[in-house]
Amino acid sequence: MLGSRNSLNRHEPGNFRKKLKILAWLVMAAFALLSIRLWYLQVINGEALRQRSENNRIRVQEIKPLRGLILDTKGRILVDNQPSFDVSIIPEATKDIAAVLAKLDDLHVQSDTQRYQKVASTTTNRPFVPVKLEQNIGRDKLAVVETNSLNLPGVIIDIVPVRKYIYGPTMAHILGYVGEVSNAELVTDTYKGYKSGDIVGKYGIERYLDEYLRGKSGGEQVEVNVDGRKLKILGRVDSVPGYNVVLTIDADLQKISRDAFTGLEGVVAVMNPRDGSVLAMVSKPSFDPNLFNRGITEDNWNRLSSDSLSPMQNRMISGQYPPGSTYKLIVAAAALEEGLITEETTFTCNGTFKMGNRTFRCWKKRGHGSVNLHRAIVESCDVYFYNLGALLGVDKLAEYSRKFGLGSKTGIILPSERSGLLPTKAWKLRRFQEPWQKGETISVSIGQGFLLVTPLQLLNAYSTVANGGTLYKPRIVREIKTATGTMIKEFLPEKKGSLPFKREHIDMLREALWGVVNENHGTGRALRRPERDVSGKTGTAQVIRMPDDDEDVKSEEVRYKFRDHALFVCFAPFDDPEIAVVVIVEHGGHGGSAAAPVARKIVDWYFEHKEGEQVSEGIVG
Amino acid sequence: MKVDRRLFVNFDWVLPTLVLLICCIGLMNLYSVGYNLPDTQGTPSYVRQSYWIVIGFMMMIVVLSVDYHFIIRYAYILYALSVGLLLVVFLYGKVAQGSQRWLLLWGFSFQPSELIKLTLIIAMARFFSDKNVSQEWGLRSLTAPLCIFLIPALLIVKQPDLGTTLFLGILFFSIIILFKIRKRLVKTAIVAGFVLVPLGWFFIKDYQRKRILTFLNPDMDPLGSGYHIIQSIIAIGSGGMLGKGYLKGTQTQLKFLPEQQTDFVFSVFAEEWGFLGVAVLLFLFFALVLWGFKIARRSRDLSGMLIAYGVTVYIFWGVFINIGMVLGILPVVGIPLPFLSYGGSSMVVLMMGVGLLMNVSMRRFVLQP
Repeated sequence: MLGSRNSLNRHEPGNFRKKLKILAWLVMAAFALLSIRLWYLQVINGEALRQRSENNRIRVQEIKPLRGLILDTKGRILVDNQPSFDVSIIPEATKDIAAVLAKLDDLHVQSDTQRYQKVASTTTNRPFVPVKLEQNIGRDKLAVVETNSLNLPGVIIDIVPVRKYIYGPTMAHILGYVGEVSNAELVTDTYKGYKSGDIVGKYGIERYLDEYLRGKSGGEQVEVNVDGRKLKILGRVDSVPGYNVVLTIDADLQKISRDAFTGLEGVVAVMNPRDGSVLAMVSKPSFDPNLFNRGITEDNWNRLSSDSLSPMQNRMISGQYPPGSTYKLIVAAAALEEGLITEETTFTCNGTFKMGNRTFRCWKKRGHGSVNLHRAIVESCDVYFYNLGALLGVDKLAEYSRKFGLGSKTGIILPSERSGLLPTKAWKLRRFQEPWQKGETISVSIGQGFLLVTPLQLLNAYSTVANGGTLYKPRIVREIKTATGTMIKEFLPEKKGSLPFKREHIDMLREALWGVVNENHGTGRALRRPERDVSGKTGTAQVIRMPDDDEDVKSEEVRYKFRDHALFVCFAPFDDPEIAVVVIVEHGGHGGSAAAPVARKIVDWYFEHKEGEQVSEGIVG
Repeated sequence: MKVDRRLFVNFDWVLPTLVLLICCIGLMNLYSVGYNLPDTQGTPSYVRQSYWIVIGFMMMIVVLSVDYHFIIRYAYILYALSVGLLLVVFLYGKVAQGSQRWLLLWGFSFQPSELIKLTLIIAMARFFSDKNVSQEWGLRSLTAPLCIFLIPALLIVKQPDLGTTLFLGILFFSIIILFKIRKRLVKTAIVAGFVLVPLGWFFIKDYQRKRILTFLNPDMDPLGSGYHIIQSIIAIGSGGMLGKGYLKGTQTQLKFLPEQQTDFVFSVFAEEWGFLGVAVLLFLFFALVLWGFKIARRSRDLSGMLIAYGVTVYIFWGVFINIGMVLGILPVVGIPLPFLSYGGSSMVVLMMGVGLLMNVSMRRFVLQP
């Protein structure tokens, strides 16, 4: 056979044996190479690669908490959460991202040219993390995506709760709005523990009470497979919903206040003078906080932020106005307490008041003649108060104003409150390096000049008079409760001080305020209800000083932005008042004609509604 | 028929024992691969693989019972038959995943390109067995063995299956280097290699080009062609010293690892059994290959030596290329891991190869009739 002819022994077997030996050594070297590589991967790099395999399979998903609700004083929901649907893609779960994106475009789920770039850049850093493509798709698009889900590998729908501001612009300034935490905020202590992308309150109650409203995130450790599909939940910590905030605001009264203010700019607010609770607070112009829900569009933002009327400002606490004649209440109180005047003290008003070489005029050109305190307030005689101002001096005015809570923040639970301005001699020297002019005191004594107050300060000052002398801290939040109703924090009425005034002085002032509305020459006659129960004070605040000699100019003819602000503050009923109302109509002209009618509507509605409620309760009972 | 008693005395028990051990590891590993697959896929692959192992062992017995000299005598016919099968594949083969590699026979898919690996070895053994071993080989004298290699290689590269083509080439060269080659031919071949490799770049398919680039830098395309190798390295490395435990390989069970049953079957094992488990497996392969070399060295004649050597390098290159590939030290080419990768053709042909080895081993002292 073949073998015998070619046996190894006959044909240089040593040659092959040697070669085979060398080859066997090479094989050994090859196995050694594999072993070294395995040692390198498994033993030297084992830990790092194990980490990578863990990252592959275990994903920690945050379970976002539901933000707390905000309720009105009667338990009606003002801010709710509602689902919004987001489309995301897990890039690793799809072979052809471009094709899936194109398919989404075909389905008219909105296209974004930079999306592919975004998806591609994300994949390398954080594998298997969904990349958001489109947020807040409507229910129509949601249906389209759901029905085509088989053709859209890696595409997932997230349900994200978003804020629903049920009353829209009506309460925008109180409730505020939410948005993603900014990078600037993240580095501050206030936002410790927040992550990029978290939703935080940006304004109003949403911002001020963010720590209560936000709740606690939970987390879920899930094992996912290569498609990013959840296979197993390894661990779960439930999220804790945010606490509910109950306001002192009455949604009905708020709505009525806003309706009464239709077409006007400025503020309206209602307070319960017995404890400082704010029942309504309208600032106009306003905005719709729902616009901010999923990130405001650039157009909307530009529109809101460039509006010269500043719709985003809560004028109630951030707006600073000269109080005009409404300030006379405080001047009168100061003069009485200082013993400079009594009820009977009279000054003669002939229409002008001279101080040095300047002449100050009364709003009534012919003058009021001889006036006492009561008439001076009722008819708002400027000359009378020029005299008081001259007697008191600006520092005394400031001192008494402070007792009424002016010149400092009231401390209401709302962000960006301002403190107004109480000018003093020292202040002017500091501010302008100039001495105080006596004439400037005259301006201040009728609520003009450097003097500035916020509407809330003004309302609170009048509430103090209404309740007989107790200065409360304005209260807009009543309580904070858990979703299940456990009390977390209760905000009880808080006294900040009381007017150290004689009782008869306060009564005197209250009667004068009643006269403003209910006496024949009173400037607030618009509020004269059949019950004759309202007390108040009008004010007309000059925006800029009008030329002294320019007579008979009706304020309606003055160009809008130079027109006076119209003010009115009132409380009712006379005995033991329940509500105090402030109205400031920007560039509205006279307080009596522009602001008082607004207050009238609110007061009327309040008492009608209150009676109606009592009746219906009676029937049920 | 009279049977020589020495056939039993010299029966090689080491070889089938090693192979059986490796096959068992392979089956156990395939069970893990299929562990988390939905039940809807019909007979699980580890069950089907065990059928193939049984069939393989039967074929091994058939092959070892026929004297290898008889096989050598009909070597060219066997070779021609398998080339014929490749031709049939070329004409009528089943197309799957873009290439035409399979023949449907009685409901089974069969890959003639696996069979040709063995018949190529036999045909070359036959060619060299009746030549004067001390002669120097030049291009002209090597024309016949070159043709033996080139005919199937061309048919396979057309399928296209670059991996198997390369594998045939490696087998061819592994056998050639046993003989004295003229220095001039060696020089020419090296120069030709330097010219042809860049030229070949333009002839291979895009995906093949990509694979080579990815081998050089897997992070170039982590989701495309680099994905396989990255996930494989993560799987192997994350096994660490002791492994994640049987059925607990996360890369495997969560399907991050691709081609788990076939090309990347080793990564599954390495993930679950760690360095220690892999060391055992590598040792078994190493022992198998060294045993093959021993059989070749001790074989009675040139034809036996060439067969034994050919089959041994066939197993060795399968192990080295596959593991080298999943470890990221060789480019990704579709070479299955002997005895571990799922696949009937490969398993049966390997078993027949082992049968040939045993055939040579047990007949080393038998006098020729």
